[in-house]
Amino acid sequence: MSTEGLTGSPVEIEVCGLSKWFGSHQVLKKVSTDVRHGEAVVVIGPSGSGKTTLLRCINLLEEYQEGLISIGGQPMGYVVGADGKRTRRPERDIAAMRAQVGMVFQSFNLFPHMSVLRNVALGPARIRGMRRDEAEVIGRRLLDRVGLGSKVDAYPGQLSGGQQQRVAIARALAMEPKAMLFDEVTSALDPELVGEVLDVMRQLMQDGMTMVIVTHEMAFARAFAGKVVFMADGEIVESGSPEVMFENPQSPRLQSFLKRFRQGYRI
Amino acid sequence: MDALLPSLPLLTKGVVTTLYLSVASTALATSLGIIFATIQLFAWRPLKWIVESYLYIVRGVPLLVLLFAMYYALPYAGVQVEPVVGGIVVIGAYFGAFMTEVFRGAVLAVPKGQWEAGRAIGMRTPRILLDVVLVQALRVAGAPYINTTIMVVKGTSLVAVIGLADVTFVGRQIVERTLAPFEVFGAVAFVYFVICYALSRLGRHVEKKASYVH
Amino acid sequence: MSFDIGFMLRSVPILAEGLTTTLALALPAILLAAAWGVPIVVALMSKRRLLRAMAQAYVEVVRNTPVLVQMFFIFFGSGVLGFPLSGFVAGLIALVLQNGAYAAEIYRAGIQAVSHRQAEAGLALGLMPFAAFRIVVLPQALRKVIPPLSNQGVLIIKDTSLVATISVAELTFQARLLADRTAAVFEIFFALALFYIALTMFFSLVMRLAEVRLRIRQ
Repeated sequence: MSTEGLTGSPVEIEVCGLSKWFGSHQVLKKVSTDVRHGEAVVVIGPSGSGKTTLLRCINLLEEYQEGLISIGGQPMGYVVGADGKRTRRPERDIAAMRAQVGMVFQSFNLFPHMSVLRNVALGPARIRGMRRDEAEVIGRRLLDRVGLGSKVDAYPGQLSGGQQQRVAIARALAMEPKAMLFDEVTSALDPELVGEVLDVMRQLMQDGMTMVIVTHEMAFARAFAGKVVFMADGEIVESGSPEVMFENPQSPRLQSFLKRFRQGYRI
Repeated sequence: MDALLPSLPLLTKGVVTTLYLSVASTALATSLGIIFATIQLFAWRPLKWIVESYLYIVRGVPLLVLLFAMYYALPYAGVQVEPVVGGIVVIGAYFGAFMTEVFRGAVLAVPKGQWEAGRAIGMRTPRILLDVVLVQALRVAGAPYINTTIMVVKGTSLVAVIGLADVTFVGRQIVERTLAPFEVFGAVAFVYFVICYALSRLGRHVEKKASYVH
Repeated sequence: MSFDIGFMLRSVPILAEGLTTTLALALPAILLAAAWGVPIVVALMSKRRLLRAMAQAYVEVVRNTPVLVQMFFIFFGSGVLGFPLSGFVAGLIALVLQNGAYAAEIYRAGIQAVSHRQAEAGLALGLMPFAAFRIVVLPQALRKVIPPLSNQGVLIIKDTSLVATISVAELTFQARLLADRTAAVFEIFFALALFYIALTMFFSLVMRLAEVRLRIRQ
């Protein structure tokens, strides 16, 4: 497992030989990939391909039976001892590492019983140990950054889907994570609200955040991804730069996936 | 334990009475529940109001109070009624309120779209209810219905207080004689437990079958 | 048969003598049952099999046997064991044991009703599992349990009438006392019914106010 890649920037997230079974059904088959510092990796593929499962394994919201994941050089979730046995790290360490990786969910998952500001400030206050007022300063700044500075005292139930998702992004950013994970964050939004969220994500990319994005937004992936990974049936079928992947797909699986995608609805 | 053996025939008689009361009261409660639920769902205002008041009273007054009221009022009633029948009527009427809520809730749980779809092809309310909604409502009603029957069985224990020889009354009698409350009431509790637990397992099975996802 | 309102009104004070006992039994029973439900639900949702099984067995036994039988068991049983409990205490214990189990089930349903995704969001931030439960899940579950708990409270108030059968001088006992002596039974039990309706109505109202106050802003 290397810590320096050919392209120069260090590896932020490394996934090695990840395998996961749901009962007898194998949903991830020895998946290996890496994400470099500052890179925006977009994962695409049909439903059931395992892309969301892969993402959720990174911050151990899903358990996996084989393989190792490391973040910033540190093993995440499981370590391999000198005897070669796989052991689970203590809960405290797992929580600490999760704090270094931000996650944004498809269904936003904002805390409905707290104001927007408190949603964002909770992490810094409770986990990073800041004082309430300091955390709130950070919260306000981030809400401004995602364009919701005027909504600090609103409650999630009072906001639109696009606004809630932007709050969710701010909440994840408040932890000053090393990397951000995006799990189909625009799939549950009305079409006209998708743009405001993608704008925030694009801005994050420009600011140099390391990101892993699972999405169906092909145009966005094509335009802004640093690397595209195509998954199907629990495996990575093909990966590379967006230009190659979209203009010149090598594998027949990817070719048919893109064809079906392009066909869409023809009048 | 030997306190129990000679009392076994008496206990058995008590169990029979409990079962009889339970079944009869459940039957009455179910019938009332169907009638009142229909009224609450479809009838016009004044009738609905009467049923609603009845439900409100039953919800706020303990079953024991109703049983006592019946017990003391019975001698003054014009007709000659056996206490057992009185007990069944009161318990049945009391849990009839619960049954009403079970059936009404079940019908309301069927999505409005089902009614609209029926209306869209020209069906009228009674037809939609019978052909489309009822079957779906019965699925939903299964588990809460059984839970209510469990309540009925437990409720019949109160007739012991007005002198009806159900298993609880018999138990108390035996304890007074033998002074072995743990064994006797333990046995009585066991009887109820067997009946109610069996019903609750049935309820859980029905609940599982009721969900369209397996 | 005519209804003697005057008599009904005159029976009220005698019934009211039992009111304090009814309240003295109902309120502690409600609070203690709500409290007792907490360790039970912790056991019910525990990862330790034995603890969970024991709690489940307890809940099943208590839910499938009538409260009256439980009261008799404790009341007469305590006498035989040598430390006879008063009807009031035996009744209180039975009510708490019964309703604590129901409360536990209510708590469990409330917790499970809060989507596991909420807890996930808390974990993703880096909260420890218990902290995620305490900060994210619990406040939401609390709001969900108020209506069913309120229902259960009404049932407790009504079940206090059962201690009349073990000689506790609460409302129903007082009514029987009167009814044994006069012929105006309708009036007496009508008044008694009104007492209980008033009690349960008042209690429901208070709980409803609490529910509204705590509502999450939409």
